[in-house]
Amino acid sequence: MPALLEIRGLSAGLQGRRSITQVVSSVDLDVQRGEILGVVGESGCGKSTLATAIMRLLVPPQVLQSGSMTLRLKDGNTYELLELPETDLRQLRWRHLSYIPQGSMNSLNPVLRIERQMTDTLIQHGLSREEALKRSIAALEMVNLEPRLLDSYPHELSGGMRQRVIIAAAVSMRPALIVADELTTALDVVTQRQLLQELAGIRDELGATILIITHDMGVVAQIADRVAVMYAGKIAELGTVNDIFESPLHPYSQGLIGAIPRAGGHRVEGLPGEAPSPWNYPAGCRFHTRCPHVIDRCRAQTPALLPQGDGRWAACHLYEPEVLSNA
Amino acid sequence: MRDLLVVENLQQVFGGRTRTYAVDGVSFRIPEEPAIVSLVGESGSGKSTIARIILGLLQPTAGRVLYEGTDIFTRDRKWNRKFRGEVQAVFQDPYSVYNPVYKAERVLKLVIRKFGLAKSKAEAQALMEEALRAVDLRPEEVLGRHPHQLSGGQRQRLMLARVYLMRPRLIIADEPVSMIDAGMRASFLNILLDFQERHGISTLFITHDLSTAMYLGGQIIVLYQGRIMERGQTRGVMKDPQHPYAQLLISSIPTPDPRKRWEEDLSAGPLAEVGPGISSGRDRCLFAERCPAVMDRCWGARPLLQAANSNAMSEADRDVACYLYQ
Ligand SMILES: Nc1ncnc2c1ncn2[C@@H]1O[C@H](COP(=O)(O)OP(=O)(O)OP(=O)(O)O)[C@@H](O)[C@H]1O
Ligand SMILES: Nc1ncnc2c1ncn2[C@@H]1O[C@H](COP(=O)(O)OP(=O)(O)OP(=O)(O)O)[C@@H](O)[C@H]1O
Ligand code: SF4
Ligand code: SF4
Ligand SMILES: [Mg+2]
Ligand SMILES: [Mg+2]
Repeated sequence: MPALLEIRGLSAGLQGRRSITQVVSSVDLDVQRGEILGVVGESGCGKSTLATAIMRLLVPPQVLQSGSMTLRLKDGNTYELLELPETDLRQLRWRHLSYIPQGSMNSLNPVLRIERQMTDTLIQHGLSREEALKRSIAALEMVNLEPRLLDSYPHELSGGMRQRVIIAAAVSMRPALIVADELTTALDVVTQRQLLQELAGIRDELGATILIITHDMGVVAQIADRVAVMYAGKIAELGTVNDIFESPLHPYSQGLIGAIPRAGGHRVEGLPGEAPSPWNYPAGCRFHTRCPHVIDRCRAQTPALLPQGDGRWAACHLYEPEVLSNA
Repeated sequence: MRDLLVVENLQQVFGGRTRTYAVDGVSFRIPEEPAIVSLVGESGSGKSTIARIILGLLQPTAGRVLYEGTDIFTRDRKWNRKFRGEVQAVFQDPYSVYNPVYKAERVLKLVIRKFGLAKSKAEAQALMEEALRAVDLRPEEVLGRHPHQLSGGQRQRLMLARVYLMRPRLIIADEPVSMIDAGMRASFLNILLDFQERHGISTLFITHDLSTAMYLGGQIIVLYQGRIMERGQTRGVMKDPQHPYAQLLISSIPTPDPRKRWEEDLSAGPLAEVGPGISSGRDRCLFAERCPAVMDRCWGARPLLQAANSNAMSEADRDVACYLYQ
């Protein structure tokens, strides 16, 4: 089956006075229908920039530089997201694509009751008041909130409940794709677990596809089907969650998995050094300044994201056929 | 044997029309010998309030904090100075500590000057470099830079370098790693372990991230709505929690292993219904409305924190506030 969303060569950057600093560089990614795809990487590696670029919600100084994105809906309609005019895009976003930005839990309007915040957009898009209310209540139920909550103001709700309201609003139109950026980062583990399990339930119920963006490897291990590991604006590795955690190929994925504190009292070593910011991405493989396996060509040549069999992809010279055959 | 720090029946009630019992009868101790004690609990459970009281920044509604046997609110100026030197705070976002106008190393220079740690410029420079290396920072990547040119992880470790210079006996670290990544987190925690093992510095480590508490080892205190639910050795509590809340908490840790996923789905159960303002009285177990094992007596009076009386558990050092064990 063709992917729900096919991303090719997507690059986005920051417009400076003279030039554009690239933040996300030629990302190729197929988001499969019905999957939960986790995007992980250290803070500042470009996860949120990628998410906003996918939604075409970049705001200056962020700019889209190049690439293509093809969305194939179940109803047979296909859209080239980067070619759509803003009006069509707005309609599409509202109807089929849903975005939960980082920190959105705190974005509810403090002076409006939850009901207004949930139904207003629906009514603006042409639903009747009753229909909007019906959809809002159904959505609240998906996240285990009672309809009476519609009468509350945001400050009367706990952080977990506010985040649930945000999720409910995001799924009220039963979207095909939900992009959730650091959805549970500020929440305690019990609430986090409930929310993630609710999200997985929504995927099953709506047949939706979920892109979950996080720097928490535990979250990804618990709910993702596949994982994309990002480093310095590029995808380093892509594979099933079991493959990534059990036999990471890319030296960066290996470092990331190895740096997770675990039970048992063994000290783990963090990755040496720091991730580069977009203003000083190294030439060649961007990980070469921290990589324990660096070889000559890493400093000069950028490794391409290549298939490694069994649906796994890695961008590292060590896994290129000619290097493998010399080894 | 004397304890380094004793927290005795601490209570902090924030007023207003609706009273918030941020801390409600909390007692624990940090021993004389270097130790790491983790304070864990969900948002709003009172962790930061306890930290602020221990640091002397907030006078509690009731209860006492004893440092080496002396009440920290006695306010003897000489003693206070000693206390402020020996008990140091490390907060979540150290950015606010830095003045963006000055170079980052100023936080080290000020300490060296204030405590007269160096006799000459060269000695001060050597001392700064030693402190930076002690926290895994290369002097050349920090010296001469402004705070905003450092990453969050570097700024956080620079705070530890400052702490290193002061050689405190106790660090109060409130969510120090929640803003930094997994990769950097391990090295920060390793520094705290080094401080304990090599320099005899104890840490009260406040976090809502149980996996970091587990990594640090030592003792753990599990808070819920301002009360201690369970206390014991971290490894033991993690492996075999007794209190139903501690059990829920620990089973909810997102284990970074896709083959060990959460077993039970909480999204459909009554737990998801919990919100604020469910029941008024506090003369009961505060976990009662969420507890799968709730009994009649749980609603009648507050269960006290007591040594767990359970044959399922072998270790001695464990306190639980739950009627199942009393
Ligand atoms: N509007 C902006 N102005 C300036 N810099 C920006 C802007 N947006 C992104 N950046 C920079 O681009 C890089 C990538 O940022 P992005 O927010 O995409 O990272 P992230 O992976 O989501 O990080 P985090 O885990 O901290 O959320 C960072 O260096 C960030 O400082
Ligand atoms: N100055 C204050 N005035 C009124 N209420 C307060 C004040 N400080 C804290 N509180 C309340 O006390 C309770 C405990 O807060 P505290 O900050 O200690 O929790 P915490 O465990 O540190 O939470 P978090 O994990 O979110 O940092 C919360 O309900 C909080 O709203
Ligand atoms: S391409 Fe080279 S530097 Fe990059 S990850 Fe592979 S081995 Fe390391
Ligand atoms: S005291 Fe009762 S309600 Fe509270 S945790 Fe124990 S069994 Fe559950
Ligand atoms: Mg982000
Ligand atoms: Mg706090």
